[in-house]
Amino acid sequence: MNNHSIRISLSRRTLGVSLRASLISLALAAPAFAADMQMPKDLPAYAADKPLPVPEIAKKTLENGMTVWVVPRAGVPRVDYVLSFRNAGLSADDPALPGFASTLAGLLSEGTDKRDSKLIAETAQGFGGGVGAFASADGLTISANALASKAGPMLELMAEIARSPNFPEKEVTLAKANALQGLKAAEAQPGFRAERAILSAVYGDHPYARTQATEAGIEAITRDKLVAAYQARVRPDQALLVITGRIDDDKAFELAEKAFADWTTTGDAATAPAATAMKKTASFVHLDRPDSVQSSVRIGRPAIKATDPDYVPLRLTSTLLGGGFSSRLMQNLREDKGYTYGAGVGFRAQAVGGALVASADVRNEVTGAAVGEFFNEFKKIGAEPVSAGELDMNKRYVAGGYLISNQLQGAVAGTLAANWLIGLPPEFLGEYVPKIRAVSAEQVQAMGKKYFAQDQLSIVIVGDKAVVEQLKDYGEFVDQK
Amino acid sequence: MTPMRLTRSLLPLLIGLGLSAPGFSASSDRWDIPVAIKTLDNGLTVVVSEDHSAPVVGVSVVYKVGMRLEPKNRSGFAHLFEHLMFEGTPNAPEGTFDKVITGGGGRNNGSTRPDYTNYIEVAPVSALEPILWLEADRMKTLDFNAKTLKNQQDVVKEEIRVNVQNQPYGGFMWIDISQHAFQKWENNHDGYGSFVDLENASLDDVRAFHRDYYGPNNAVISLAGDVTPEQGFALAEKYFGKIEARKTPAPPDVSEPLNTKEKRITQPDKLAQVPAVAVAWKIAERGSPDQAPFAVLAEVLSGGDASRFYQSLVKGKEMALNVDFLFGLTGPFEFDGPTLLTIFALYKPNITADQLIAEMDVSIAAIVKDGVGDDELARVKTGMLSDWNNSMESFQERADTLAKFQALWGDAKVVNQVPGWIEAVTSKDLQRVAAKYLTAANRTVIDRKPVAMIAAAEAAAAKPTK
Repeated sequence: MNNHSIRISLSRRTLGVSLRASLISLALAAPAFAADMQMPKDLPAYAADKPLPVPEIAKKTLENGMTVWVVPRAGVPRVDYVLSFRNAGLSADDPALPGFASTLAGLLSEGTDKRDSKLIAETAQGFGGGVGAFASADGLTISANALASKAGPMLELMAEIARSPNFPEKEVTLAKANALQGLKAAEAQPGFRAERAILSAVYGDHPYARTQATEAGIEAITRDKLVAAYQARVRPDQALLVITGRIDDDKAFELAEKAFADWTTTGDAATAPAATAMKKTASFVHLDRPDSVQSSVRIGRPAIKATDPDYVPLRLTSTLLGGGFSSRLMQNLREDKGYTYGAGVGFRAQAVGGALVASADVRNEVTGAAVGEFFNEFKKIGAEPVSAGELDMNKRYVAGGYLISNQLQGAVAGTLAANWLIGLPPEFLGEYVPKIRAVSAEQVQAMGKKYFAQDQLSIVIVGDKAVVEQLKDYGEFVDQK
Repeated sequence: MTPMRLTRSLLPLLIGLGLSAPGFSASSDRWDIPVAIKTLDNGLTVVVSEDHSAPVVGVSVVYKVGMRLEPKNRSGFAHLFEHLMFEGTPNAPEGTFDKVITGGGGRNNGSTRPDYTNYIEVAPVSALEPILWLEADRMKTLDFNAKTLKNQQDVVKEEIRVNVQNQPYGGFMWIDISQHAFQKWENNHDGYGSFVDLENASLDDVRAFHRDYYGPNNAVISLAGDVTPEQGFALAEKYFGKIEARKTPAPPDVSEPLNTKEKRITQPDKLAQVPAVAVAWKIAERGSPDQAPFAVLAEVLSGGDASRFYQSLVKGKEMALNVDFLFGLTGPFEFDGPTLLTIFALYKPNITADQLIAEMDVSIAAIVKDGVGDDELARVKTGMLSDWNNSMESFQERADTLAKFQALWGDAKVVNQVPGWIEAVTSKDLQRVAAKYLTAANRTVIDRKPVAMIAAAEAAAAKPTK
């Protein structure tokens, strides 16, 4: 239902600055210039860095097991709420019902014991905000925000949605019909098919591979299944509530108690899935898209969970390789070769595993050459130590990202909850930049060698079948739907 | 990607506005933004919004040139030029710009719109001076270089492939709809450009465009965040003060009257699997008393799940998968020439676009006849106030909005007036504006259908009727 957002383009890079997504970033260092290039002689130096602000988090656990964290802020007159449930997301779904948790999340705000979907939407609008839910691999998250003066009523509305959704039959039927059409619309996008194929290549049979809905899976959803899954997954002993904004600790805890303290639950909570397999044979997959004018290239492998000791150095390594305009892949494939509008690497670290996925969409005739340049960069980062200048530039880039995101109260709440879902403690947020600064050139090279070796990397190409012959040197490609 | 329904619109740049209606939001929910403005001797206008809540600063440099003013045989040039602004100068060779900002911990981007082109950065405040140096350096001159021109011609063509040619719907709700709705070339050509025009762009074109439109007198720079107005003005003087003003060509008259005859186009889509429709009306010009009512009307009709179109088309009649609106390529207050309000929806294969539009007309007619009730109007305005506040939270977005308002309205302080304009909108205003503009005669419609659907319909039509 949400695959058809309109993207206004004509930007230098639409993938560019995503401030809401996460607080993965940072670095400030000496006021010297980072990169290894001759800097213009008149260019002023960076000023001295200001101290790194670290969010102060007030914490409390309700008697029913719900964790509550509060981060008061003095900025925009708004309060943000993020309520996350562990082991309640896509990886908890029955293999026959992939994507089920997304439907479950969407239906929470389509009717409660007190209000129908229309009244919920109107009520939220009247509070100057919104409320909605989404599923990720490891959890289900309800988010809400409102004008500061409506902080109390909005939390009550959010609690109503979390505690007494009633999944009206009519809404379930409509959600299924729209999900089927939405799936058809999504299948027309090359990126959607590429994502499904690379997840399958990387994770095999693990639940992390099944984040996209299927026609059969949507058709098999029933109200009974939704109610049962809701009861098993949406429960206070598996929940974290983060509150940020124009509200003080006492008031926030008082509102949280009032909205959630009498919420009880029965039965056992769901548990996390088994860890993902680290070693996997690389596969080479072509998805036919006749007359496609570009090839969507995805190159990936299983990686690590967020709590792995390699997490921080690998984060920095993936940033250096493919995390922005100055990254090696962007400089090579876009700024030097002109093969693509954007090339990058995504490092997805989750609760029980992770993945590295590099991507670019390139014109047909350079498909093989583009894959070759990806591998050149992967090889180089494992073979040669990164220079002090490039390392420092990337550390500062990560640190800056932390500061930039930290300016936004919704991003702070969202990142705290997302970290919690993947097993990272609240302190991690404030420790992240110092940890990034401590990474050495040797560590980056070791990460390159360990995680970007060619024989571990699967390749997915979505495009016209004529491009496959450019890929002979990289593997035996199999056609998949 | 993330399916959160927390914003009223899917357009990141679309700003809602508004003020509280009595009894709904409290005065504590008003958020006036500090705005200080100074114009340098060379004509560069400097805007500063001081906010020390984070050691971060947002920067936006807006040039008063966009797609409307690009040369006629050079469609897409304003956007190609925007890319070239990142490709180096005689002082700072290609690569320097990105590396200095990356090393400063910052992010940068640029985008091209009909009436402006904006260049934005956000960074730890320790990087402010190098960023200002870089912006001033590329305002002075560029490294007009055949290699980077060729490189960015390739990159822009890939951008068009990835966003238009290789995607279902291909941006028809903003590219094609303008081509059909407007009469003047300035308003109706494809701002992404044809490959032929892009390939024909020469270094002389690049030089002329920079000389004519990228002088300090045709620009605004805005800073928001951990900087005082005194500091901001002094730094602007230090880095930009010596750049000489350059003559800017007189703008053409791009105005157009409302349309007087409906246009309906059916387009085949080779990639799409689900049909879609774009329904667009020409709207009131910037500064018209109808402008704020238009902003409210769009929200009443299709701003989120509580809106009338969502409730009738997605919920009640179950005809559409989504209903979204666009104000051209920007927001309801960020244009300065003919612009469309466009409704975009994916619809279900068992209905027709005509049925969908007929249902929209029912909602519009209801507003023309009965207006909008007090409760509904109040909650829509409350939502718009909140959206307006939210658009001012990020230092980057705040700097950019202030720069755009200074460039388009001649006064960045308008950002603090807009909530009052919204608050003043009455039900009668909505009736008047709906009746005047949301008519069939002023409407352009594109029904975008999967080719397989068109082929099936043609085959059925070819069969002898019973």
